[in-house]
Amino acid sequence: MLRWHLLSLRLWAPAAAAIELLAGVGMVFGIGLLIPHISTRAAVYGTTGSAVVTTLLLGLILGPQLVAEQKMNGTYEFVLTMPVPRSAAALAWYTVTLVIGLPAAAATLAAGMLRYGITLSPAPQLVVAVLLSVFTATMLGYAVANAVSQPMVTIILSELFIFLAFGYAPINFPPSQMPAWLVGINRGLPFLPMATTVRDGLTHRVVSDVAISYVVLCCWAVGSVLLALLALGRRR
Amino acid sequence: MATALDQMAGRQAGPPVNDLGLRIRALTKVYRTGTRANDGITLDIAPGEIFGLLGPNGAGKSTLVQQVIGLLKPTSGTISLGRFDLVADPDCARQLCSYLPQAPVPIESLRVREAIELSARIRGAPRDRARRRADQLLEALQLREWERALGAKLSGGVRRLTGFAMVAVEPGALAILDEPTNDVDPLRRRLLWDQVREMSDGGVAVLLVTHNVIEAEKSVDRLAVIDNGQVIAEGTPSSLKSADRGRLRLQVMLAPGVATPELPDFVERQVRNSHTLVAVVPESAGADGIAWAQRLVEQGAAEEYALGATTLEDVYIRLTGRMRDSLGDG
Repeated sequence: MLRWHLLSLRLWAPAAAAIELLAGVGMVFGIGLLIPHISTRAAVYGTTGSAVVTTLLLGLILGPQLVAEQKMNGTYEFVLTMPVPRSAAALAWYTVTLVIGLPAAAATLAAGMLRYGITLSPAPQLVVAVLLSVFTATMLGYAVANAVSQPMVTIILSELFIFLAFGYAPINFPPSQMPAWLVGINRGLPFLPMATTVRDGLTHRVVSDVAISYVVLCCWAVGSVLLALLALGRRR
Repeated sequence: MATALDQMAGRQAGPPVNDLGLRIRALTKVYRTGTRANDGITLDIAPGEIFGLLGPNGAGKSTLVQQVIGLLKPTSGTISLGRFDLVADPDCARQLCSYLPQAPVPIESLRVREAIELSARIRGAPRDRARRRADQLLEALQLREWERALGAKLSGGVRRLTGFAMVAVEPGALAILDEPTNDVDPLRRRLLWDQVREMSDGGVAVLLVTHNVIEAEKSVDRLAVIDNGQVIAEGTPSSLKSADRGRLRLQVMLAPGVATPELPDFVERQVRNSHTLVAVVPESAGADGIAWAQRLVEQGAAEEYALGATTLEDVYIRLTGRMRDSLGDG
């Protein structure tokens, strides 16, 4: 099934990888244009946050839009009739997201280090943080895509997630720069915990509340998986 | 290596042997909108049988198929394949059944051979058998020319054949084919039907959904006609046509813009679809029918006509009151 998914994306994957790369690197350089005399701390937040955003893009927009397109052209049902466990299809999609998303995230970090002269020090927990963050973003997008029957609603919802992440979540900047009530809401959403855990894996003592962020992220991951499996196993 | 089918049937690994027949009993599906898409459908398909499902658009054919394959849950009724309950265990349905939907298969980024081999592998076939069967089907369906072509570059007909090959390569106990010959050229249609017969000869039960009544007549062992969610007739093509024994079919191609002419008394029933007027007449009135049609041609009201034995299409018209929704080229 993994091979089916990988080959099915053969025409699409290079474009997706390019978009991911351009988005991540573009964000990193864009921050420097917005803030000409950017501090080291802001550059660290901006660079690491941009890497997280590329993950979100893939899991929350591109994945659901692929599923929405399948529903619109009538090919979605064919995939559902394949004799593979629903979890296998979900894991295959997760693997594809990693394969396409990780190089772009790495390139984003490298671009930030080069552009701003910052030092990022990958620690062992970065592996867990990245795998968990990508998993959560992918499963959340996968759950939405399969739970919502109307493809146009899926597309709108996936874009709404990105607006929320970009405009209302402290991913590219410290939470202290946001109103406290909005930070409170974000502590329960997956976006801030993704940024916190990944940033913790790349820096030393820049972020706090790391442990609770892992807990929140795990809850979102489990919830998304359950929703996705429920949606996939549901028969009208 | 045992395929999923072998394992579920408790058999040793080897060439697929199928002793699983489909039994549907009192199947009813009512959607949330209140639409009663299937209403008490009961039918059986034996292993190795090609069973046709005919009916107009909206009759409930797709609903029936989707319940068999596990995409829809019945409101009531049972579906079983051998000892396996497909309603209680939709995963089992996917293991035992293969499905060619009416929509194009999603193979834009896959090469033809890849798609066929992968389908076999996903269905549990070992690598060498998947390769061998893919070779056989590429040869049998004359798809060699497109073996390495990407799905996005294929014509509709070749893509359809590829989709069929993805089912035939490892069909399981029941192969469900929804309009398998759509967009396929007449030559390759014959090749496809040959492969359908080969599948059934190998013990696979085949459920064929089609609008093409003429093709169905040549290809199926038995069939059911569905209308308004119910089976209104079931049997072999011959048995269904027996009600029309002693009758002939008079087909008249009317000239464009011509209204339906007044029909002679010997016409028992008629139906018109666009320019085609099909009338059923007693054998004894055959000569009179030809004379009448010839007069229409001489008057310019018709362009041509043909008289022949009644077909399954006439049965279909008699039962549903409608002509087949698309005039297939048989």
